[in-house]
Amino acid sequence: MPVIAVKNFKKSFEGREVHRDVTFHVEEGECVGLVGGSGVGKSVVLRSLIGLEKPDSGEIWIEGEEISKLSERDLVKIRRKVAYVFQNGALFDSMSVFSNLAYPLREHTKFNESQIKERIHAQLEEFGLAEAVNKLPSELSGGMQKRVGLARSMMIDPKVILYDEPTAGLDPFNTLKIRETVLRLKKKGVTSLFVTHDMPTAVAVCDRFCLLGDGRVKAEANVDKLHTHSSGDIQQFIDGLDGG
Amino acid sequence: MKASRVEFLRLFGGTTLLTRQVASELFRPPLYPSLVMEQIYQIGIRSIPLVFVTAGSTGMVMALQFGLGLEKFGGKLYIPKIVSISIVREMGPVFTCLMLAARVGAGITSEIGSMTVTQQIDAIRALGTSPIKKIVIPRVLACVIAIPLLACAANFIGIIGGLAVGANDLGLDPVFYIQKVLNTLWLPDLASGLGKTPVFAMIIAITACYFGLNVKGGTQGVGNATTKSVVTSSICILVGDYFLTKFFWILEQCL
Repeated sequence: MPVIAVKNFKKSFEGREVHRDVTFHVEEGECVGLVGGSGVGKSVVLRSLIGLEKPDSGEIWIEGEEISKLSERDLVKIRRKVAYVFQNGALFDSMSVFSNLAYPLREHTKFNESQIKERIHAQLEEFGLAEAVNKLPSELSGGMQKRVGLARSMMIDPKVILYDEPTAGLDPFNTLKIRETVLRLKKKGVTSLFVTHDMPTAVAVCDRFCLLGDGRVKAEANVDKLHTHSSGDIQQFIDGLDGG
Repeated sequence: MKASRVEFLRLFGGTTLLTRQVASELFRPPLYPSLVMEQIYQIGIRSIPLVFVTAGSTGMVMALQFGLGLEKFGGKLYIPKIVSISIVREMGPVFTCLMLAARVGAGITSEIGSMTVTQQIDAIRALGTSPIKKIVIPRVLACVIAIPLLACAANFIGIIGGLAVGANDLGLDPVFYIQKVLNTLWLPDLASGLGKTPVFAMIIAITACYFGLNVKGGTQGVGNATTKSVVTSSICILVGDYFLTKFFWILEQCL
């Protein structure tokens, strides 16, 4: 049974149809890259997977549960299992890095303050962010903010991670750091869906790709067969990225 | 015309739904009393200087204007009565709430609006928590608790302002002034004034949160939402004041 399954997903915004029939799945432990041109609605699909958007029609299954019609209250248990890494980190700007990381632990666990402190320091060490513990998000670079956002998403050990362009706008050093983190999480068996335009990183971390366009998944390909794939759309997309 | 009608219906529907969500989640755990206390400090304690200056100067100006007007007819002795009744029944609560609609309403909308455009509200939801519980309810409760208390303090400061002008500029005996005020005011006066403030507090908080949560269009959108929030809640307070005054008037007739 796939961990994530999207079936006949349809979504419009103010009369403009963004998705008319998106269908794909992600198996357990797999990392799937969701790629496509700007504005095709990759983030909309990703947001819908944790109920931040509701589909107009279609089904979204997470670990065997259909979530598209769940209320905000019922979505809480899904959101404890599925972490979302926002494009800009989406850190709480009035809280320090420590408080940002403590947030999910205080909300969803019964850890006492010393256990929380211990876990946060261990997490920050793992993400190479130990020196940032008392800083505010505004005092961090863009790359560090994204890494803190990623560290926060991982605090309660989610089974699934949804990455929304985690390397967009980053320098090579921070891109490499994010790539290493994603690979480390993948080795731990975390299932991932990776939205990106950064093809070198996507090729390094993903097992399979879904190319989104014209409101549907136009093509799918395993990463090792990417350059020899028969789909003209896949070749066109890769050539465009190689050329660009 | 059609667009503004749609916008009005959207506002009415949106604020009604938000009020319903607040009511349904108000007593359901987890509760966040520390967030409510923090907001009472931000909304209540930090508004004290503004409320005191507004109330004090309102009382002083009213005493001066009535003093100048009534002196011609030998009615100066009625100043304590008129000033205290006007302040307690109308000016204190309404002016306080209008000032707070500007200060508190603008603050809440711009803060929540900024959180919306930087995806912090989405992050609250994505992390399995409710923005209604974490953001909206603490602000609504803080307003409903702090604003009536501020209005109460404003009544007192307004009367003191009137007393200062009455004693210094109009030659009224301070003891006479205080006695007149105490003889004039009775419970229905206080109730009809302060009874409006929880409703005004709800209007300020719900309107501000609604506009903050529905910001569109980046930082410019935050600015627009803040302006709309202050204008909408000010108008609602002024229009609502008429109906609430009438309601309390009917209530007084019945009792």
